[in-house]
Formats: sequence, C-alpha cells, structure tokens
Amino acid sequence: MKKISRRTFVEGTSAGIVVAAAIPAVEAQQKQPPAVVTDPGVPRTAIRLNVNGVNRRVEVEDRWTLVELLRDHLNLTGTKIGCDRGECGACTVLVDGTPLYSCSQLAVWMDGRSIQTVEGLAKNGKLDPLQEAFIEHDAPQCGYCTSGQLMIAKALLMKNAHPTRDEVRTAMAGNLCRCSNYNHYVEAVMAAGGTAPSTGGGNA
Amino acid sequence: MTPLKTVGHATHRIDALQRVTGGAKYTNDIYLPGMLYARVLRSPHPHARIRKIDLTKALALPGVKAILTHENCDIVWNSGDQLGQRKLFNNPVRFAGDPVAAIAAANRHIAEDATHLIEVDYEVLPFLTDLEEALKPGAVPIHTGGNLSLNNQRQPQPQTYKRGNVADGLKAADRVFEDNFTSAHHNNAQLEIRASVAEWSGDKLTVHAATQGIANCRTDIARDLKIPVENIRVISEYMGGGFGNKNQNQDSDLMAAMLSKQAGAPVKLEFTRKEDFVAVHGRWSSRQAYKVGVKNDGTLTAIQMTALTGAGAYRKGSCDLSGTEIYQVPNLETSVSPVYTNTAVAANYRAPAYPQGVFGIESLMDDVAYALKMDPLEFRLKNMTRKFRDQTPYTSSGLEDCIRKGAEKFEWTKRWKPVPGSGAGPVKRGAGMAMGMFGSGLGRSSAVVRLDGQGQYYVHVGVTDVGTAAKTTMGLIAAEELGVPLEKVRVVWGDTDTCPYSVGESGSRTTVQTGMAVIEAVRDLKKQIADKGAPKGSEVLTAMATTNPQPLAGVSRNSFVAHFAEVEVNIETGHVIVTRFVAAHDSGRVVNPLTAQSQVQGGSIQGIGMALHEELLYDKRSGLPLNAGYYGARIMTHLDAPLVDVVWVETDEPYGPFGAKTLGEPTIIPTVAAVANAVHNAIGKRIKSLPITRDKVLGVLA
Amino acid sequence: MKSFANVNARDLKDAAGKLQQAAKNGKTAAIAGGGSDLLGMVKERLVTPDVLVSLKSVRGLDQVKEQRGGMVIGGLITLDALSRDPQIRKSYNVLAEAAGHVGTPQIRNAGTLAGNVCQRPWCWYYRNGFPCFKNGGNTCFSITGENEFHAIFGGGPSFIVHPSDTAVALVALDAKFRIVGPAGERTVAAADFFKLPTDNPARENVLANDEVLADIRLPAAKAGSRSTYTKILDREAWTHAVVSVAVTMEMDGAPGNGVCKTARVVLGGVAPIPWRVPKVEAMLAGKRITPELAAQAGALAVEGARPLAKNQYKVPLTQAVVKQTIMALGG
Repeated sequence: MKKISRRTFVEGTSAGIVVAAAIPAVEAQQKQPPAVVTDPGVPRTAIRLNVNGVNRRVEVEDRWTLVELLRDHLNLTGTKIGCDRGECGACTVLVDGTPLYSCSQLAVWMDGRSIQTVEGLAKNGKLDPLQEAFIEHDAPQCGYCTSGQLMIAKALLMKNAHPTRDEVRTAMAGNLCRCSNYNHYVEAVMAAGGTAPSTGGGNA
Repeated sequence: MTPLKTVGHATHRIDALQRVTGGAKYTNDIYLPGMLYARVLRSPHPHARIRKIDLTKALALPGVKAILTHENCDIVWNSGDQLGQRKLFNNPVRFAGDPVAAIAAANRHIAEDATHLIEVDYEVLPFLTDLEEALKPGAVPIHTGGNLSLNNQRQPQPQTYKRGNVADGLKAADRVFEDNFTSAHHNNAQLEIRASVAEWSGDKLTVHAATQGIANCRTDIARDLKIPVENIRVISEYMGGGFGNKNQNQDSDLMAAMLSKQAGAPVKLEFTRKEDFVAVHGRWSSRQAYKVGVKNDGTLTAIQMTALTGAGAYRKGSCDLSGTEIYQVPNLETSVSPVYTNTAVAANYRAPAYPQGVFGIESLMDDVAYALKMDPLEFRLKNMTRKFRDQTPYTSSGLEDCIRKGAEKFEWTKRWKPVPGSGAGPVKRGAGMAMGMFGSGLGRSSAVVRLDGQGQYYVHVGVTDVGTAAKTTMGLIAAEELGVPLEKVRVVWGDTDTCPYSVGESGSRTTVQTGMAVIEAVRDLKKQIADKGAPKGSEVLTAMATTNPQPLAGVSRNSFVAHFAEVEVNIETGHVIVTRFVAAHDSGRVVNPLTAQSQVQGGSIQGIGMALHEELLYDKRSGLPLNAGYYGARIMTHLDAPLVDVVWVETDEPYGPFGAKTLGEPTIIPTVAAVANAVHNAIGKRIKSLPITRDKVLGVLA
Repeated sequence: MKSFANVNARDLKDAAGKLQQAAKNGKTAAIAGGGSDLLGMVKERLVTPDVLVSLKSVRGLDQVKEQRGGMVIGGLITLDALSRDPQIRKSYNVLAEAAGHVGTPQIRNAGTLAGNVCQRPWCWYYRNGFPCFKNGGNTCFSITGENEFHAIFGGGPSFIVHPSDTAVALVALDAKFRIVGPAGERTVAAADFFKLPTDNPARENVLANDEVLADIRLPAAKAGSRSTYTKILDREAWTHAVVSVAVTMEMDGAPGNGVCKTARVVLGGVAPIPWRVPKVEAMLAGKRITPELAAQAGALAVEGARPLAKNQYKVPLTQAVVKQTIMALGG
C-alpha cells in the first residue's frame, strides 16, 4: 500500500479547501498482519491478482471473501464491511473496472483479475476529483460508507462523465448511507462530473 | 446576532481527508500482533433456562483459545440494564439473541466454527412478544417483579407528569377527541458493525471501542470489571455512526476484555449485522392513547396521554415518550409504562423518546385542526408552547419562525389540500407538517488547550465524532475564542490517555457541553499568556477547564424545529414517496452550517425511513425475529431520499458556546409526523400505526 | 462459513460431472455462477456444501446469439449485460426490463441469468432457518404467521412466492431451458421448469442436484410484438417483487389504434411459480386495448385469488398493476 502524505494533499488540493491539520491522538500501528493459524484440512489455493496496480501472489483459504483478503491479509482496510451479505454496498470495489460487492465474491474467484480499492483512487499523491468533491461538499458524515460510495461513483464517471442527478442516484442505488447524507453525496458526484445539481426539492 | 470570524462559517471536516482516502482507522481496522478473533453464541430461544453447556467439542477445535459463559463469567453489564438486571451472560436467557458464550480463536473462521460446536441444553420457557399480553395477570414474568418495568424513580409505577387537572380541562372543552397510535421497534442500523478490540499489559487494559463517548465507556468498563479507572485506556479515533447505540460501554467491550485476559492475547470481537439488529438495541415501540379537549376557537383545554413502551428483554433505555410538551395547555397528564417482552432490547436511537411520541400527538392534533376547519399551520401557531411546561420562560425560542419560515420555503398554501384526499387520482399529492423541541441543558465536560513555542494551538477533547463533525466544531469554537484561523488549531481526540472528560456524543450535548469547556480553557490560556507571555522555543503553556455549570434557574433552554413534507400516494398501488421536504431548525447559532446541514438532511431522511419502512418484525408463534438486516428493514436508499431544504432560524441565545443549542437529535423529531400528516392530506384517511407501509395504505383505502 | 473447496469447471459437462463425483464421494456440492446469492446462503449456513463448483472459468456461456430467428442466451450472462443487450431490448424487452430490475447495479454485475432463474425463495422463514419444507421440514410457517409477502395463488403446502424477475419474463416469452447433466442434456419449456409445491414442496424447479441450466432459448419474435415488465418494490430499489407482471402483446397496427392479436400475461410475487393467467390472455386476444378492457383484465387476473391473513392487499395491488401495465403497453 502506497504511503500517502498528508502534506502533499494539502498542497495539491484546490484552494477552497480548508484543511486544518488534524492529528489523531494515537497513530494506529499497522504492523504486518498477524500470522494466521490454519487447519491443514482447510482447502487453500494460490492465486495471482493485481490490486491497485500492484501484482500480488497470495495463498488464500477457498472460503475467504475478497473483502476479507483485502482487509485481513493485504492490509487494505479502506474497504469496509457493513453487512457481509450484499445488502449495504460499503464493500464496493472495482474488479476489472466493474463495481461489485467484495463481500459477495470469493478471493479464489479473483484469480487473474485486477482490483481497485479506495486506496488506489489517489494517483501520485493527488486526490481523485471525486475525493476532492466529497471533501468540498461534506459527503462523509461518519465516513463508513464513503469508500463504497467513492468506488461506485468512480465506476459511474468512467462510463458517464457528466451524469444527471437521476443518473447518479440510480447508479448509486446499491450503496446505503445510514447517516443519510444522500443529498451531499449526489451534489459531490455531480460536481466531480461537472454538472450543476438541479435546484428544487424532492423526488419529483 | 453579531457575525463571528470562524464560528458560523461553512468549514470542511478536519478529518475529511482521512475519510475519503480509506486512511481513517475504525475499530474494526485495528489489527494487533498475535490478535485473536472472537464471536458470540446466542440463544435461539426467546426465553429459556440453560441447563447445561458442553464446551468439549469447541475447546477441542484447534485454534480455540478462550471461551466465556455464565459459568465462568458473572459480570454484570450495568449499562445494559438501568436496574442492574443484566449480566454479560444471563441465565435464563430472555430474548432470541441473548449471549450464551463468547469464543476467542486464532482466526475468524475458527471462532465462527466453534460457535457451532458448543452444545447447550435449554429448558424452553413460555415467552411474550406483545405488550398488552405481557401485562395480563398470569403472564410469565420476564424479570422478578413482573413485566411492568420500574419508572425513572425506581417505583413499580408508570412514569407520569401532571399539571392542572385533565378531568376539569376535558369538561371545559367544547369538543373532545380521542385516538390511539402505535409505533414499531426499529433499528439504528449504523453502517459500522459493532467491534471491540481489547489488550492487556499487566493489569492495564486498552480497549479500542467503537464508542460515542470514550470517557463514559472507560468509567463503565472500570465499574463493570471492578478495576481502577486509571488502569483503563479507551481509544476511538474514528467511528462509523451509532445514533445512540454506542453510548457508555457495550457488552462487546467487556467480553473482548475478559476473553483477552483469559487467552493472554489481544482479542477483536465482532458482531454480524444480524446481531447488531437483534442483540444490540433499537428504538422502543409504543402504544399511545390520547384524549384532547379543545374549544371551538381552537384553544386547547386538556391533553391526556397514556402509553405502553416496549423495553424489550432488559431495561436499557428510559422508555419514555415525549411530544405533548410542544403544546401550550393548562391541563396535561401523561403516563408511560415501560413493559418487558422477550424481544430485542430497546434503548437510545436519535431522540429516543420523541419521533414516535410526536407522531401520536401531532397526528391527533392534525385531526383536531381539520375537524375545527382550521389550517393545521394556524392551529400550531395558536397552540404552540410559549413557555416550558407553560411556566418557565425559554432562553430563546424560534419555534414560531420555524413554522412560518419553513411554511414559506415549503410553499405550504400551494401544497396543502384544505380537503384531504381531494386531489384527482390515482396519484394524489398532499402536505403535512409537525413541530417539536429538544432540551439543550448545560452540563459537565472538560477540555485541555496547549500552546507551543511555534504558535501552534492544541485542543484536547474526548470526542470521537459519530458523524456529527464534532472534531471540527471543537476546533472552530477554539479558533473563534482564540481569535486565530482554524489552521492554527490542532484537535486531539479519541483517546482517554490524552483527552479529558467529555460527556460523549449523546443527547446532542457535545457542542454545548464540551464546547463550553473549550471556551473556558481558552480563556484560562489567554490569561496565562497575559501573565507569563507567549511560550518560546520548547516551552509549552497548558490550560485546562472543567465546566460544571449550575442548572439554569428560572429559564429553560431548548432547540425548536418544524418539518414539512409533501408526498405522492398512488391509491391503486399504495405506493408512497416523499416529493418535497423542508426542515426549519432553531439551534441557536449554527457553528458550522456545512456540517449542520448534513445533520439535518440526514436526520430528516432517517425519519422518512422510520415513517414509511422500518420495523423489526417478530414471528409471534416462535418469538423469533424475521427481518433483521438492511434488506429486511428496507433502509432508505439514494432513490428513496428526497432533497431536503434546510431553513435556519438562528435565535439570539444567551447561553452556550457562542449561543449554540442542540442540533443532532431534533433533526428526526417531527419528521415522522410530518410524513404521516402528508399521507393523510393526500388520501383523506389516516394510518395510525408505524411504519406506514403499502399494505396499510391499501387497507385504509379498501 | 463452513470450509469448502472451490473447484473450477472447464465446461458444463465437467461441472455436472464434478457434481456427480462429489455425491459419489459422499460430499455435498453446489454450483456457483455469479455466486452472490449462494455465498449469502453459505454464510447463513442454509446450505453447507463441501465443494463449490465454480462456473466462472467456463467460456462462451454468457453470449446472446441469434439462432433460427430466435435467440440463445447463455446462462452465465450477467443480468447487467442482459438488460443492456440491444437485441434483447429490441425484440424481448420484457426480459431486458426484468433483468434490469433485479437488485442493484453491483448485484447485476455479478448475478447471472441462470442464477436468477434458479434462485431460492426469499421467504423469511426459510432464510432464517426455520425447519420448513424448504429447509427439509414438513410445515410452512407462513400459513399462520407473517405472510405479508406470501402467495395468493397456487400456494400449498408451501406458500412461498418465486423470487425471480427474469423467470416471470421467460414464461411470458415461452422460453425453453436447456439443461445439462452427467448423462446428457434435455430441453424443458419454461412453464414446465417451475413446479408448484404440490409436486415437491422442497423444490421450486425440475433441476436435479447434478444438473446445470446451460442456456435459454427464445422463439422468434413475432412482427408487431411488444412487451414490458412492471415490478412493485417496497422501497425505491433493492427488493424482490412484492407483485410484478410481464406482458407481451402481438399488435396488429399501432398501439391505441391497433388490435392485440395475442397476449401473454404472467404474474410474479403472487405464487410459488411464475403465474400465467390464460383467461386474461384470452380476454385480450383480438381486441383493441382500451381503459375499460384493461380494467376488466385487471379484475379477471385476481379472480380466484386466495389471500392469507396478511396479504389481502396483494389482490387490489395485482389488479392495479395488471390494468396499468396492459394499458401502458397496448393502449
């Protein structure tokens, strides 16, 4: 996982963003994931996959889901588990550019595939326009659904660069936000896509 | 109101960067060397006595390191039940989901496999799922003393309030209205699943908890584990929502700690989403009965409310009901009886006692207005509260402006139908509104402020930020009082080792209580600078404040709110959708309009979900929950959410940090009633039970 | 999840063979096409296969191909690809719409047509592990329980409703299902693929444990044919059909002006199988579609409905949906 420098972002982002440096009281030590004790009777498979541009070769238990591989074993905790049942969208990642629920895919099925997670959005220390827009428009409240919302929005903008409000909502219908910050998410995606959100209220 | 330099200006969250890069570490993102994974085995029965637990097969599974049951762990979880009736592992178990064992193992799969190897011999007991059945004589007692829970004074009586005399008031009325309303148990459903990570170092315990209040979590753990507070460190840098189900400590914190002690290794305990729905808690259900007396000119003479609330299997919450306080009326009597059933526990969910109570009273008042041929708006303006409990002046009240300005923004006269149901079908539109209020008392909190020799300020506050942007708010308040830009202030949060007491994000109290502490600490720092001069080089000046203001005498501090909803109802299919929504809020001075808008929009949309979709449904014959989870709860999606227009009514509030009042919880208080009233206005029929689902809409139209 | 071995099938015959082999070795096996629904059930331990036979490595079974004027659709096509296929949208729109209504974009990106057709019920008694017919027991808990979402037609002894959107469309299109097993293959008409619970309440279709649904054949679209799928959901996205209807019409002349020569009307969300309503089809045949006729068709569609204690609302709902859809398609 690439180390992303906060200073680079502050310099690299648009002038409108006020980012007061915020240091968490404890920098969580992300050591190597602990060695996993496995029963030799549990079937395992060696797979190759590309994650955020990096080729990986890993041995997985056949029953590991993709999200479990990413979080527990590849130290990529940006992708979150909200339900583990394909009912919330928090675990959305791009597989060969296609948004899927990573909780609902086995790691073994990802052999030969290319995965993009939220950690892979920023390029060379520069935030993706979606990430900037999410900050600008206060899209994350608690932030737990944010990674999934970013990835589905990324997939949308790759296919449809200037979506309408309804196109955004339809494309993102598979991502829940319980803080219910939907209005701001849509504003942010449309801003990233260069479309002005329609004024007026409601579903009409 | 004088405009300020930093407070009151739209400001991005100071931790937004971490949240949009996947860099924010939530509790479940913590991985420690040698860490074990833990899962909980739960009762499959709604009510049962455990005769025997056989751990042999589970202990024999390679990789299983520790198991707790009621046999080796009798810790009382005091935050799980206000009356001390709840242990981590109870016998008898009192709801399907009550924990029976906790297992720590080398990896998550072994832990899960182990739960299926524990053999439990249950003696199944009769169970109750219905509030009224639970109160009948002969009903199986869920706790000693029966199924009517004690009131807030610990008496075996309902919770009551009285002023004046309702019987007289009803006699003085020209017309008396009566009606009953019910609301369902539904879930907080925050996206972050519950997880606790515990680690011992000698007799020092560190708990990474997804908590809304690190200080309270810490003192609770100390109390329940009977170890000194100073031996405990609680860390929560980022947490993914809770809306009230992550206050104090949770049983997962204690289980993780005890498993870690037994196993001699750090332990991460995780709940599944189903466990979160069934075994944490949700908002209590209610059965409400009202009598309202009114004069022909619309003046209220009396309100009487009697209600049962569903505590579930334990008494974790207050189980109270609010709503009637928004009316000016000389005679008011309320009586609320919390009742036990063998179902999921109920406790805090965003304004815990409010939206369901406001649904009841505001639905009935709407009917009263129509019967008197009054515009519901005019009826509220006439009868809205002008003094707290008709007695104590408000420090500030923007309720009238909330109603008027909200109505104007909403275009009330255009959207509201004087004759409900008069639209041409089959798709009918209608509008409804409701009002509400929420207490904003002052209270104890602490803050530490430092200044180093390079001119950088540090504000240490025990906030974790549920999603409210509390970290940013504290920074803004400090910056304002210091007279410096926000960039000069670094907020230090989320660790009891470095942050002093904060009340925690519950009751919408952080801005008000911890904010005041920040201001006091800054004032002390400024005095020190005046006395000693600014620090140079490696010098540091530190100031600390603990505010513990006396309760305000002779005045009452509250936030006020009015919500307006327009709905479209297809009377052939029963489909309901909110097409327009306006939320008007008086929270005094709004510290950060950007994040405050997020809060209001979010609370409103949650409220729409409560009105139209959400209920944790039980099968009566088995006492088992049927639809736990996001799919079953029909949680609001992007396509369900309307645009929410926010109208700020910033009153000149003399108390609180720069005049700020509570904000987070009022956002859901009148929402449900506004939607229900809009549905009634659209179709001319009233649905009196939540949620207002398709089958009920088609039912009243049949 | 209980541990299992994932084996990648080379082709369908290999898959069927692996299923058979597992059975011979006393192991349980399951087919994974898209895999999402299966994984959910494995996580809940509703099924606990020792072996997962993955079809993700099978090539060439996800295409839409013309064949003798009709179409062959590989069972492994994703619901997303199916919903956007221009030939399907043009000539078999009801299927494209049905596929596009399933779940969410992420679900449609992974879920396959065959998987959707063979999906197990979403009855909450079944999914919560109650010992009902579908879980190997001998009762149906919905009869005296929470039956808000259960059957109003064809129920008994199980009252589940078939959960698949595409199944409804396929019955309306007179599709044929090609099934591959270890011994060979067979073709079954859609209407014969789905079975009422009176046959075997534990199952919803005729697929044996060692068979795989390979592809689905659609007959040549008749001139002047149009079709649509209406789905009623209980929030704006992401639920199974409360009630749905697939309607196809062979029009003679422009809609509103023309005559409906023949029609197919199939209901979803109301019965344990996609519920074809021949008497409504007969009522529409040879007629001009008017609001009055559509209303009569709606009323006829619910004749004989046997609602349970809590799903009475499905009757007026079905009536309204049939009426609205017929009018929208042919009026």
